[in-house]
Amino acid sequence: MTKKWVGQRLTRTEDPRLLTGQALFVDDVEIPGMLHAAFLRSDYAHARLQSIDVSAARERPGVVAVYTAEDMGDAWQHGPPLVIPPPTVEDVVFHTRTQVPLVKDKVRYLGEPLAMVLAESRYIAEDAVEDIFVDLEPLEAVVDLEAALEPGAPLVHDDLDSNLAAHLVQDKGDYAAAREKADLVIQRRIVIDRCVAGAMENRGIVASWDKKAQHLTIWDTTQAPIPVRNGLAGMFGLASNQVRVIAPFVGGGFGPKIMMFYAEEVLLTWATLKLGRPIKWIEDRRENFLATTQERGQVHDAEIAITRNGRILGVSHTFLHDTGAYDPYGLTIPLNTQSHAMSAYDVPNYHSDLKVVFTNKMITTPVRGAGRPQGIFLMERLLDVAAKELGMDRIEIRKRNFIPPEAFPYNHKIIDQAFAELVLDSGNYLATLEKAVDMIGYEEFIKEEQPRLRAEGRHVGIGIVSFIETTGVGPYEGARVTVETDGRVSVATGVGTQGQAHFTSFAQIVADQLGVSPRDVRMVTGDTAEFHWGTGTFASRGSVVAANAIHAAAKSVRAKILKLASKVLETPEEELELEDGVVRVADVPRQSISLGELAALANPLRGAVEPGTEPGLESTDYFGPQYGATANGAHAMILEVDPETMMVDIKRYVAVEDCGTMLNPLVVEGQVHGGIALGIGNSYYEQLVYDENGQLLNASLADYLIPTAWEIPRIEVGHEETRSPLNPIGSKGVGEAGTIPVPALFAQALEDALADYGVEVLEAPMSPNKLFELLQAAEHKT
Amino acid sequence: MSDLINVTVTVNGTQYARAVEPRLLLSDFLRHDLGLTGTHVGCEHGVCGACTVLFDGEPVRSCLMFAVQADGHKVLTVEGLGTMDNMHPLQEAFQEAHAVQCGFCTPGFLMSLLPFLEENPNPTEEEIREAISGNLCRCTGYQHIVDAVKLAAEKMRT
Amino acid sequence: MELAGEYVFDGPREDVWEMMRDPAVLATALPGTQSLDQVDENEYAGKMHVRVGPVAGVFSGRVLISDEVPPESYVLSVEGRGGPGFGKGSGRVQLIDRGDGKTLMKYEGELQIGGKLASVGQRLIESVSKSLLRQGLESLNQALQTRLAGEGEGVVEGREVEEEVEEIPYRPPSEAQFATAVVKDVAADIAAQVFSPENQAAWVAILVAVVAMAVGFWFGRKSAERR
Repeated sequence: MTKKWVGQRLTRTEDPRLLTGQALFVDDVEIPGMLHAAFLRSDYAHARLQSIDVSAARERPGVVAVYTAEDMGDAWQHGPPLVIPPPTVEDVVFHTRTQVPLVKDKVRYLGEPLAMVLAESRYIAEDAVEDIFVDLEPLEAVVDLEAALEPGAPLVHDDLDSNLAAHLVQDKGDYAAAREKADLVIQRRIVIDRCVAGAMENRGIVASWDKKAQHLTIWDTTQAPIPVRNGLAGMFGLASNQVRVIAPFVGGGFGPKIMMFYAEEVLLTWATLKLGRPIKWIEDRRENFLATTQERGQVHDAEIAITRNGRILGVSHTFLHDTGAYDPYGLTIPLNTQSHAMSAYDVPNYHSDLKVVFTNKMITTPVRGAGRPQGIFLMERLLDVAAKELGMDRIEIRKRNFIPPEAFPYNHKIIDQAFAELVLDSGNYLATLEKAVDMIGYEEFIKEEQPRLRAEGRHVGIGIVSFIETTGVGPYEGARVTVETDGRVSVATGVGTQGQAHFTSFAQIVADQLGVSPRDVRMVTGDTAEFHWGTGTFASRGSVVAANAIHAAAKSVRAKILKLASKVLETPEEELELEDGVVRVADVPRQSISLGELAALANPLRGAVEPGTEPGLESTDYFGPQYGATANGAHAMILEVDPETMMVDIKRYVAVEDCGTMLNPLVVEGQVHGGIALGIGNSYYEQLVYDENGQLLNASLADYLIPTAWEIPRIEVGHEETRSPLNPIGSKGVGEAGTIPVPALFAQALEDALADYGVEVLEAPMSPNKLFELLQAAEHKT
Repeated sequence: MSDLINVTVTVNGTQYARAVEPRLLLSDFLRHDLGLTGTHVGCEHGVCGACTVLFDGEPVRSCLMFAVQADGHKVLTVEGLGTMDNMHPLQEAFQEAHAVQCGFCTPGFLMSLLPFLEENPNPTEEEIREAISGNLCRCTGYQHIVDAVKLAAEKMRT
Repeated sequence: MELAGEYVFDGPREDVWEMMRDPAVLATALPGTQSLDQVDENEYAGKMHVRVGPVAGVFSGRVLISDEVPPESYVLSVEGRGGPGFGKGSGRVQLIDRGDGKTLMKYEGELQIGGKLASVGQRLIESVSKSLLRQGLESLNQALQTRLAGEGEGVVEGREVEEEVEEIPYRPPSEAQFATAVVKDVAADIAAQVFSPENQAAWVAILVAVVAMAVGFWFGRKSAERR
């Protein structure tokens, strides 16, 4: 092996197809005879369904069918719970309540589907939706987390005696004892509110049942085609190989597209099986706000016990987590919050009391960050408040508490989202922070630039935060690598792709092992017909789990190539090398054979395949880590605030990330940029605004402000690299890293910019309005 | 259902004659009637810009127009910009600068940028950011897109 | 959402009171009203076509009058549901004799909205509802003039004799005129909130064009879809 591809800033193989409009997205699928679906969705967040009359809709020309819950008969069932509560934690209270395909008794969130219309066109289907007469008796809604738990609050689920969905307590050490020994105990209330993932492509499904072939093909914008296939097959009594789920090019995932058995997935499958016609449903943007999952709502009452030297003795928090109307995703998000509440620090004592609450809002499932931003926000804010009270520099207080590199693997002994003990595998947190300090010019800014600008009356602030990110969790992924007779290599893996450059970065791994160009590696992702074992793209695990499965399969194929070539070229394996698509004897270039020829030889037309071996140059391998690898980073920013207009201008942004071995630094940077952009949205521009009746007041991009090129600054990315000992490549995930620390960073920088007002920012997202109110309150005090 | 209206639209240099409903959106016409699925629909309310095409040379939101309004006019979509084997310098620049992640917003950016670059052959970073502030991207954070535009401007100047 | 305001009617309280209880008048004052029938002594039922920015459709609803103290005050409760969503509100209406032949009407109430209307019309809802109210009240005022002119001249307590009473033909405003008036109102509203007084006139003109275009696109699309 001479040329090394992993680690190269290779441009993407998939780009020309995307750039010239030749890439297939779900809405591009056209099948003759295809019907179009539209849904009648509830205008109330909480209401009893009295009656529904679809007769007029059925009469409309062009309408083929209209279905309600009644029409589904026995096929109507609650979705399966996707994540069970951790069996490894004692005394967990958990009430499983999962979503329904169509409302039967009562509506529990705004937009819950009541009926499905199938027509010759989407236009006609939407017309017919207006023909449906539904009688909904509005009920009082619960929207606020604390109000939802008060006695007498309206119940989201009538069969429970409260809106408590789950209760879980985790302890490390003895916080109460630690508190006694502290020189300072700081208590604060921290509130984080909901946002959407906001992928540019909304969800969509095409489901097509071929009655003659007895085969079901589904195109779905899902991040997890394999579990969707297995689940739908099981639900409708089909063998799993009768169902093919394809996630083609998907216009952004960011989490909610991994939620599965959405009502629409179930209904379209049921309907195509019933009618024998292909059916398409494409979500519109308003539906995306109402019918696709969201995340982030939490309220924390937190405290930190600290010595006068800034050493953390313990952290404790009681918090409420908003799961929305149902809880199919279990405790994943709040477990992540707990796993990140101690962040990069050596916290000897920790207590966390978690209550998950049902509300009349959309279900929450992971959105980029998935509970981690809330944990980091908590810890960084507490540290910043402590630093102020102790009169200590914010960098210094962090340095005093970092887990040192010698302490890895560091076991926190609390349970994480993978139901294993939270073990941080590796990292050098100090090095990462120091790089960020250096890149942003922290010292110089604090000592010279900031005082100078402040003297001019400007409100400029600097922020700097550290964070960890658990990535690369199991259970496993798999891959199959095959050398074709034309010399190119085909690879298939189960994860889907929503822009993460899998077609390129995974190809780089194979290229290194087999001595081919990455451009000659044809990558297939997200098609269950090509590969049907695996979980999906989520939790920053593609570059760890799928990548290592591909690495393993490529290595196996390499071994087969060498073994066969050794026989053919009559040369020992050690003297052979793979390069430029051929196997050759080192230093004797004329003695070689191309991979294509070798592949043909490996598939004999005469003779036999020896027992214990396989034909061809192909191998399927799997990778399942014992626990997740821990990435880390530090972000810093300088911003200016105008205390009259509340407008914020980010002058500089530095992001130092450590994701272990990088497959492709160009791709890593892109992921960091994109993650930060979403994080900036989470910090200042985006928030889902629900009124007290559960009405979503900003269900359009005109009112829900996704940042544009004007709001996102130029980002300087620095790299640190601590290889993970948990996998052969040494990689850690990076997909969510950009997003995780931003709200904490923003809060710190805002406080610093407005230091003369003495405000404390304990809420995310902030907004011009909220900032205005904070400043007003502060001015009143002085 | 209302009567169909005959329209003749030139798209990417080819003339198409079709009978359409008056309420058919231009974006749906291009994507489903003509099979030109490169133009994407992200919001249908004119904010995200993914549906941007050139209408007689001017960028428009095809989700806010009707197909009948395009009768007798010229439309340019991303398919008319270049092919996989022969990309426009703007498309090449996007690949070189890694300005594409999921690719859904990309055609809209390309079509918005084409007239911008023709009028501004040497734009500053600020001018570029302002020019693309009408297109939303959730994946890239815009930086590589800005880099791609600078690179494209350079390519197009030579 | 809270709604409060005042309006001066060019006529005596008793006439205003009577008019406000006349479903025929009310139905024509607010364009888009497709029907308004009295179903009970204090209850009306009807259908109204509503357009707020991109959201339009027909609402079916009920109007209830209660706590009547003629001709001083009453409570108006409204409830409607339709394609665009639902609305529910109630408010207290007060009629005060100004002593100069005119009546000051004060209203104060609350309106709850839900469905599409609430989620895509937020920025326009407050402006548009205030505007709808204002336009409706102006139409009512015009109707009042017509009614009074029809009664001829005459001395009414507290009112001076009018020399030449012009015949004021009452033509209910068409939907297009109404829409234009709403657009102007909304634009003026936005301008007032955002721009300084000096710039307002110019900005109003620009905003009218912008809002009208936006409403126009949706107007066209929605009415096309309804066919």
